[in-house]
Amino acid sequence: MAELLQHLVNGLVLGGTYALLGIGLTLIFGLMNLVNFAHGEFYTLGAYAAFAALAGLGAGFFPALALAIAGGAVLGALCEVTLLRPLRAESIDTTMLVMIGVWIAMQNGELLVWGGVAKSIPHPFPTAPLVLGPVSIAPLRVFVLLVAGALIAASWVLIQKTTLGRAMRATFQDRDTAALMGVRIDRIHTATFAFGSALAAAAGALLGPVFLAYPSMGDLAALKAFSVVILGGLGNLPGAALGGLLLGIAEELGAGYVSSGYRDAVGFVIIILVLLFRPSGLFARAERVG
Amino acid sequence: MLKRWVPVVLVVLLAGALLTPPGFAQAPIKIGVIQPLSGPVAASGSYVRMGAEIARDWINARGGIKGRKVELVIEDNKSDPKEAASAAEKLIVRARVPAIMGAWGSSMTLAAMPKLEEYGVPMVVETSSAASVTRRGNPWIFRISPPSEMEALGLARYVDKLGVKKADFLAVNTDWGRGAIAAFGDMLKKKGVAVGATEYMDQAATDMNAQITKIKAAGGDTLFLTTAVEQITLVMKQAQEQRLGLKVITTGGSSSPTQLVKQAGAAAEGSYHIVFFMPWFPEAMPDGKLAKAFVDEWGKRGHPFEGLTEGFRGHDGIATIAEAVRVAGKDEPKAIREALWKVKLMGVNGPIKFEKDGPAGKESGQSQPSIFVVQIKNGKVALPDFLAKK
Amino acid sequence: MRGAARAVLALLALTLPFWVGNPYYLHVAIMAGIFGVLALSLNLLLGYTGQLSLGHAAFFGIGAYTSALLTLRLDWPVWPAMLAGVAVAALAGWLIGRLALKLRGAYFVLVTISFAGVVSLVSVNWMELTNGPLGLPGVPAPALGPWSLRGKDAYYYLVLAAVALAYVVCARLVRSRIGRAFLALRENEPLAESVGVDVTHYLVLAAVVSAALAGGGGALYAHYTRFVSPEVFLFTYTVTMVIMVVAGGKGTLAGPLVGAVLFTALPEALRLATSWQWQMLAYGVLLVLLVFFLPRGIVPAVVVRAEAVRRARRAAE
Repeated sequence: MAELLQHLVNGLVLGGTYALLGIGLTLIFGLMNLVNFAHGEFYTLGAYAAFAALAGLGAGFFPALALAIAGGAVLGALCEVTLLRPLRAESIDTTMLVMIGVWIAMQNGELLVWGGVAKSIPHPFPTAPLVLGPVSIAPLRVFVLLVAGALIAASWVLIQKTTLGRAMRATFQDRDTAALMGVRIDRIHTATFAFGSALAAAAGALLGPVFLAYPSMGDLAALKAFSVVILGGLGNLPGAALGGLLLGIAEELGAGYVSSGYRDAVGFVIIILVLLFRPSGLFARAERVG
Repeated sequence: MLKRWVPVVLVVLLAGALLTPPGFAQAPIKIGVIQPLSGPVAASGSYVRMGAEIARDWINARGGIKGRKVELVIEDNKSDPKEAASAAEKLIVRARVPAIMGAWGSSMTLAAMPKLEEYGVPMVVETSSAASVTRRGNPWIFRISPPSEMEALGLARYVDKLGVKKADFLAVNTDWGRGAIAAFGDMLKKKGVAVGATEYMDQAATDMNAQITKIKAAGGDTLFLTTAVEQITLVMKQAQEQRLGLKVITTGGSSSPTQLVKQAGAAAEGSYHIVFFMPWFPEAMPDGKLAKAFVDEWGKRGHPFEGLTEGFRGHDGIATIAEAVRVAGKDEPKAIREALWKVKLMGVNGPIKFEKDGPAGKESGQSQPSIFVVQIKNGKVALPDFLAKK
Repeated sequence: MRGAARAVLALLALTLPFWVGNPYYLHVAIMAGIFGVLALSLNLLLGYTGQLSLGHAAFFGIGAYTSALLTLRLDWPVWPAMLAGVAVAALAGWLIGRLALKLRGAYFVLVTISFAGVVSLVSVNWMELTNGPLGLPGVPAPALGPWSLRGKDAYYYLVLAAVALAYVVCARLVRSRIGRAFLALRENEPLAESVGVDVTHYLVLAAVVSAALAGGGGALYAHYTRFVSPEVFLFTYTVTMVIMVVAGGKGTLAGPLVGAVLFTALPEALRLATSWQWQMLAYGVLLVLLVFFLPRGIVPAVVVRAEAVRRARRAAE
C-alpha cells in the first residue's frame, strides 16, 4: 500500500512537469497548427538561461526564473517574426522543416556554448524530503508543482478572459473574419508563439534544478509534450494540464507494476488507444479530426 | 620573361625553408580516434579525447616516435553505431591511419569491428565493457578496459567486507548496463548473495522514481548502479527523496565521484564506486609518478577534475598504440598488430600487456587492468572504510 | 528532364565505382542509395497522399531486423529473407493504414510516432527476440550464385538496382489511376469522397507500398552494414528522411532522390569543411536557409526556373 501511494505521488509530480511542457505546445500546435520540433529546445534554453543567470550574472533563484521566461518569450517572438511569418503561406510541412532546422541548430549551439557535461542548477530549497506518512516528496518538487499550477491557471485566464486571449482564439478559428474585425493577425501569431515558447522556457527553468541541464534534455521532453497535447485535445489548455497529470501517473504505475524498461511505451500505447477511440482528446467534446 | 619569375621562386623557396619546423621534416604518424563527441555521452567522449591529446603532446615533446610526430585524427561517432562504422571507414580509407583508438560504447565498437577486419587495421578499445568485443573472433581488437566479468571479479574479494546479503540492480538499458547486471549477478550468486529487484532505465531518462520505489519495496541492503554520472546523480537525488537507505555501489568506472559530490551533494554520501583511476591519490596508482604527472597536466590545461576518471583512458590508449609503433619500427597496420602482442608498458591505470581472448586462431587481445574501489566520505573521495581500517 | 541529361546521369551512376577515387566515397554513395529508397517511400505518403508519417524509421527497422533475424536465427538464405523483410514491413504498414484510417493531419502524425516508439522499445527490451541493445552482429552478405556481394562495388550495383526499382514502382503508381486518387485525396478529401473515391482503401494502399519500400531499404541496410541494433529506430533517421523529401521536393519523383544524395553528402562535406564542433550547427543553419529560400523544395524550384527560362526564350523569339 505504501508502495502504491508513493507511486501515485511520484506520478502526480511527474505529471505536473508534463503538464507544464504540454500547455505551451498545445497553444502552438493546437492554435497555430505548427508542428514545432524546436519546442524542446526552448525548454532546454530555459534551463540554460536560468543556469547562466545564476552562475554568470549572480542573480537570485527567482529572478533567474523570471529572466529565463522572459528570454524564452523574446526568442520565440524573434523566431516567429524572422522565420515563420515569411513562410506562413507555405504548407505545414515546410514550416515543420524550418523548425527541424532550428531544432538542430539550437541544440548544437547549446552543445558548443555550454559543452556536453551536464550542469547542475543550484536552488534555495532544502534537500531533505518532506515526509507524509509512508510517502516522501522533495520540497523543490512541491514548489515546481505549485508554480506549474499557477502558470497553467494564469494561461487559462489569459486565453479565456482577456482581450488578447479572445483575439488569439478568434484568429485561429477564422482568420479572415478576425482580420475584418480589426485583429492584428501578425501580432497575434507572434504573441502566441512567444507565449508558448515562454511556457516551455518556464518548464525548463523549473525542471533544470530538479534534474540537470544538458543539450539533449529537450528531445524526450518534446515527445512527451506532443503526447500530452493529443491526450488533452489540440488547443485545450485544461485538457493538456489534465493530460499531463494522467500521463505521469500512467507512466509511473506502468513502470512500477509492469516493467521499467517499457516505461515510455505506456505513453505511446495510451496515445494510440486515445486516438483510436477518442481522437479529439479525452476532454474535448467530439469533433471531426479527419 | 624568365627574369620576372626568378625572385618569386626564390621567395617561395626561402619561405618554405623557413616555415618548415626543424626536426620533423618526415611525415607524422597518424592515429585515429573515434569517440562520441555529441549526443548524450558527449562529455565522456570529450574527456577521452582530452586524455589522448595529453599523451600525444607528451610523446611529441620527447621527440616523437623515432623522430616522427604523432598526429591524432579525431572523428565523432555521434553516439550512433552507424556513425562509428562510417568513422572507422573514413579514418582508414581517407586519412589512412594505421591504427585506431575507440569507440567508447560497446555497440559502437561492435559496429566498427567489421571494418577493421575488412581493411586489416588494429583498434585499441579503451572503454567498452561488453564481453562480446573480445569474444567475436576479431584478431584486430586489443582492449585495455576491463569487461564486466573482470570488474565483477575485482569486486568479489570485498563482497564479504561490504556486508552484502541481498542485492538489487538498477542499470541503464544498454549493452553496458545489461552486461554489468549479468556479470555482477553471476559473481554475487557464486558468493551466496541473494538478488532482489532488477530494474532498468532508458539512457535518456531523468525520472527513476518508479524504479526506486520498486527497489525500496524489494527489501535488499545494497544497490548496484550502472550508468553514466548524470543519471547516477539523478538516481541518488531521487533515492534520497524517497529515503531509500540502501548501500550504493556504482560500477563501470564512469561514475566520476568528484562530479557526484558536486552535483548530488549529501545524496552521494557513503556510496562506493568502482573506478579504474584514482586521481584523488595518484601516488597509490601502480606508477605513482606517471599518474601524478597526468593529474597535474590535466589541471594545467584547465580541464575539469571530474573528467580524470575517464580521461586517463584516452592517454593509455594512445600510449599503447605509440609503444606498438615504436616496437614495430614502422606505422604499418599489420606490423602494429604484431607489435601489440609484444608490448609491455605502464599506463596511468597500471601495467598494460595483452593476453589472448576469444575463439582459437582468431583471438583478440585483452589486458588485465587494475580495479579500485573508493568511497565518498564527508563530501570527499577516500579509500573505503573497510580498507582504511588496519 | 531532357533525354540527354538523363542519359548522362544514368551513365555516371552506372560507372560510379570506376571514377570515384576512394572506397569511402563509394560507401557514401551506397548510403545515399539506401536513403533514396527510404525517401521515395516516405514521399508516397507525404508527397502524394499528403499524410505525414513520422514513424517511418519503424518500417525501416522492421525490414532490417526481420531480414537479419531470419538469416541469423533460422539460416534463411539472404534473398528470401530480404523479401520477408519487405513483406513484414508491408504488414506493419497495413496495420498503420487501417488503424489510422479515421485520423488525419496531426493525429495521424502522432499515431505514427507512437507506433515507432513502441517498436523501438520492444527492440530494446525483448532480449530473447532481438538481443536488445547488444544488437545482431554478423549478418551475412547476399550472394548471387557463386559471387558474394560482400564487396562494396557489387553492393553498390545492388543498391542502384533497388533505387531504380523503387523509382519505377513509385512512378507507375503515381501515374496510374491510383496515383490520381492519391492526388485527389491530398488536394480535397471531402470532394474526392463525394465523387466516389474510396479514401480509406487508397490510404491503406499508400501506407502498405510505402512501408514495403522502407522495409526493403532496411533489409538492404542490414546486409550492408552487417550489424543491426535498436539504433535503427532512432527518431533522427525519420527526421533525416523527412528533410530529404521536403527539401528535395515532395510530390515530385526526383525530389526525394535529389534530397537523399544531397543530405547524405552534406554531413560528409561538413566533416571535411569544419571541425566536429561546428558540423551539426552548420547543418541546422543550412537547412533553415534552404527552406527559407526554396520553400517548395529543390526540384520544384529548378523546374520553375527552367519553365521561366523557356518562356523568356520563347517570348524573345
